[in-house]
Order: sequence, then C-alpha cells, then structure tokens
Amino acid sequence: MTTDRDNQRDGVLVFSENAEVLGELLTLGRQLATRLGRPLAVAAVGSNAQELLKEGLARGADEVLVVAASAGNAAVPDESIPVALCEVIRTSIPTIVLIGATRNGAELAARTAQFLQVPCACSCVAMELDDAGGLRVDRRVYGGRFVSRQLLQAAPRVATVPPRRFPRAENVAEPRGTSRSLSIAVPAARLRTLSINPRSRSQVDISKAQVIVSAGRGVKQMEDLAQLERLASTLGGVLAGSRPLTGDVDWLPVDRRIGLSGQTVKPNLYIACGISGQIEHIVGMKGARTVVAINNDVKAPIHQEADYSVVGDLYEIVPALLEACEKAKGKRT
Amino acid sequence: MTATGIASTPPSILVCLKFVPDPAQLQADSATGRPDLARAPIRISTFDENAIEAALRLAAEHAGRVVAMSLCAQVPPKDVVLKALAMGVAAVYLVRDDERLAHDPLRVATVLAAAARTIAARESLARWDLVICGEASADEYNQQVGPRLAASMNVPAVTYATALSLEGGVLRAERGIEDRTEVLELEPPALITVGTEINTARMPTVLQIMGAGRKPLVELALAELAGIDVAQLEALPGIELLDVFSPPSVRKRIAISGDSAGEIAADLLRRLGIDGEVTF
Repeated sequence: MTTDRDNQRDGVLVFSENAEVLGELLTLGRQLATRLGRPLAVAAVGSNAQELLKEGLARGADEVLVVAASAGNAAVPDESIPVALCEVIRTSIPTIVLIGATRNGAELAARTAQFLQVPCACSCVAMELDDAGGLRVDRRVYGGRFVSRQLLQAAPRVATVPPRRFPRAENVAEPRGTSRSLSIAVPAARLRTLSINPRSRSQVDISKAQVIVSAGRGVKQMEDLAQLERLASTLGGVLAGSRPLTGDVDWLPVDRRIGLSGQTVKPNLYIACGISGQIEHIVGMKGARTVVAINNDVKAPIHQEADYSVVGDLYEIVPALLEACEKAKGKRT
Repeated sequence: MTATGIASTPPSILVCLKFVPDPAQLQADSATGRPDLARAPIRISTFDENAIEAALRLAAEHAGRVVAMSLCAQVPPKDVVLKALAMGVAAVYLVRDDERLAHDPLRVATVLAAAARTIAARESLARWDLVICGEASADEYNQQVGPRLAASMNVPAVTYATALSLEGGVLRAERGIEDRTEVLELEPPALITVGTEINTARMPTVLQIMGAGRKPLVELALAELAGIDVAQLEALPGIELLDVFSPPSVRKRIAISGDSAGEIAADLLRRLGIDGEVTF
C-alpha cells in the first residue's frame, strides 16, 4: 500500500533565503523532478518564510514545508536555519537538495550537510542525472580555468547553484501545491546581531548592460576610474569592477561587482582592464559574447578568457582606446 | 564556556591552512587538457594568508598565541610552510592525510575537528578560543570547510568576516554579504572565516624567514588524532571525482600588439567593428 508520505518522498527539495533565487531553483528543480518522476518541494524557513511559501506555491512547487520555532510559532532565526533544513530533509526524504549559492546559502548548505554527514557540491554550473540516479555536476575550479565533473551518489544529494544561473520559474495559472507546517526546537542563540547595514546601491543594473568596462586591481587610484567610466559611456555601456575594487577598497559600489560574490553578466562586449582573472571573477563574466583583456601581466589568466588580449599598460592602452573611440564617433556624427 | 573565560587570559588562536597549487601558475597539460598539477608551485591558499594575518593582529593586541594546522596528503615544500612561521605563527602542525581518502570538505572538516582537539592537548590548552579559516580555498573554492568545522566542533561561526575585534572577552565581527554588512557579537570559542577584505597579509622579512626555521613544525599521522577512526572516514559518503578538464574555449584568444598604444587601440577597434560589437 502506498501512503501519501511515500508519494512525496524521493523528490527534489529546494531552498534559498532569497525569494528571487528560490524562483530560479524551481526551474532547475522542476527539470530534475520531472526526470525522476517525483515531486518538487520547497523549504520555507526564516524571517521571510511566508514570502517563500507564497513564491513556492505560485511558481509551481508540489509541496511547501514551512518551518517555525516550536516555542510561540515564531520565525526560525538565521543561525538555526540548518537545523530547520535537517528537519525538512528528515521529513520529506528528498533524493536531491538544491540550495541557492548566495553567501548565506553557501554557509548554511555546508552546515546542513555536515549535520547530515553528507557531501555537498557547491556552485554547480551544470547538473545532470545519470541512469543510476546519481547526480553529475560541473563546478569551476583552479581559478575558473578548469571544470571539475563530480558525481554525488548517496541521497540526499546536496548541491548549491549560483544565483542567475537559471531563469526564474514562471507563475503557474492554477497553483496546485500544498503546504505543510513543521516546527523545531530552536537551540539557544549564540550570535547577537548588533546592526544590519544595506550596501549603497548604484542606479545602474549591470546585469542588463550590453557593454561593460570592468576595472580591477591594476587600477592604481580611485580617480583613475573616471577615464574608464568615460570609455564605458562612449561605448554606450557601464563601468563595473572585480572584487578588489568593490570590497578591499570601496571605489565602486558592491552592486557593480562581477563574479562569484557579485553579479553574473552577459553583455555583448566586455572589456577587462587590469583584471587578473581569478575564479571569483571569471564565473561572473563567462557569458559575455566578446571579451577584451587589457593587462600588463602576460601570465594573467584573464588572457586565456579573452577574444582579444592586449598585454600592455592600461594607463597607455585605455587613453588610446578612448581617443580612437571618440575619433570614430566624431566622424559619424 | 563563559564570556569571562577569555577576558583574563590571552586568546589561543588556531588557523587552518590549505597548501594549494598556485592557480595563477597552473597550466593545462597540452596532451590531456587536465591541470598539470605537478608543475605548479605550491602556495598557501590566498584567503588563508588573510586568516593568518587576522589571527596575528588579534594575538598581538591581546598577547595571544597563534598556531596553524593543515591537512595534506603530501608534505608541502619547506619554504612554503616556513612562510606561515615567518609571518609570526608560533607552530605549524601538518596532519598527513591518507592518500586513498577523498579530500572532500566532509572528511576534511571531520579530521580537522579531531586535529584541533589533539593539537590543543599538545599545546597544553583546554580549548581554542578562536579558529580562523579562509572563506574558500584557491583551488577547489568549496566555501565549506569553515562552516563545516564549526558545526563539527559545535561552536558558533561568522563567515565572510571583514573586520574582527576582541574586547572584554567578546568577539565582534563585521560580515559582508551580497546586499548588506552585518555587525555580530559572539562569545568564544568561535570560528571565523575571512577573505581579502579583512586585511592585507604581511610579507615576512628575510630575518623572519631565517628565524622561522627554529620554530616547531610538527607532523601528525591520522592515527595520532583523538577520536579518528580511519574505517569510519572511509565509510563517509563521498563525492566521486569523474574528471577535471579545461573546457573547450569559445574565446578567439587573439593577441593584439603594435608599436604604439595608438596602433593597438586602432587595431582592436577595427576588429570589434568587424565583429559588430562596436557600431559607431
């Protein structure tokens, strides 16, 4: 005899604390669930559990498992989300667990997997089921220049997926999913949040730009960005940067960061200036149609990722390029 | 495990290191397309140098002591290990991994948790007040060992810390994630992961490098670790590595050169025009 519980096990479970990323995981999750012929479930945990519940049902999940703290039915605090995910996994017995690879997601995936004593494949850029039910994943390693193909055999197969890797699942016309409430005893808090400060945001959305001029560590001082900004606007594009310029120093707002910890972009033209090309960065700009690299270090990995590579000083090349662009533009107008 | 435990005594800090083939100098083997690991120089993983630096700064302020540990299948070149000692780490413990075991984060964190206990005992410490890890390794970039180790040691963690201080026995960390920064407080024992934002790692001087040779460099076998059972490690579910390859590049990889910057710029613009990427 098959029970309801049996019908719901061995499926795909997805979680992200970010509702938008959750929508993306539902796209990949649905593909895998369809191949398995099993249900697709969402874990809704944390301060925005109700938002995740709505998002999950609206975008076609078969079931949403909502977890609250057993004391007072309150939201599960961030530091206990892994405990809640373990409970969801024990209850729904998924064969695949997908978690959004935001920074919070990367941390809680690792902690959840350690509690469960299972491996976790992180930041997977491709995923495929093999005939034996194993999950084959591709990850970028060694500065992004190599792909590591790995196989997760034992269930639950836990993997994280970078944001914006998949389109968001469409809203379904008639949501048919159900929801189920779970509760956990929340362990005593060990972290105290003193303040949360949103990062300053710029007015441009670099993920939609057609042309991006991107600045890296090779730029010596903040004032020098003005010329790169001019080159970008001459080409009808925007200025963005790698992690050093948007984190180690705050020369550019963090929402202009391209890479693993920033945005993934797909412009037609990408001009990398003084960027060495670490994995952190490459992952974010792989989708560009044409890549130009300007870097004085012949060994910089960015040259391997470029259509046109200039081994030269950006302080000489960029002004010359700007001049040539302005000249060409002048002729036309 | 009280907040007062650390206020009166200097903090004991353990840093986790990974020795990796330098990704910046790693080439693909021309025949197989696989990374030519044997020919890439070994270095301390980038963020782990920031972890050392963060530990040393905290220790300097509070008269603490910094010890480092690493789990490695092969002993790294002596000069690479010496760099950690020359920077100011008091002792380095190298735990020799069983080469037959997969080097995945689940196993690594499990072994490191046991190694932390064993090394604390050798250092005559009741516990580590603070464990600091790089937020990800430069080779695999799993971002897992730090939070897994915290789970395994049952201590709270702050990942992606961009600033760290210790006052009155309380740790305060700033944490940087995509859309916000957070300021968090926690009591030791705790684990912190760091990236390049938190500091610039120091370069040891020649004198420091010469002096480093006299500092303890201790090798430990898996069998010497308290509570580690190799059979149990073998039984943990692993990730099977199917292949590591250099993806076929879709890039043209055309080098643009010329006698002057102007010539280079003109050639580049002409080619971008032909490709239809520049349309003025």
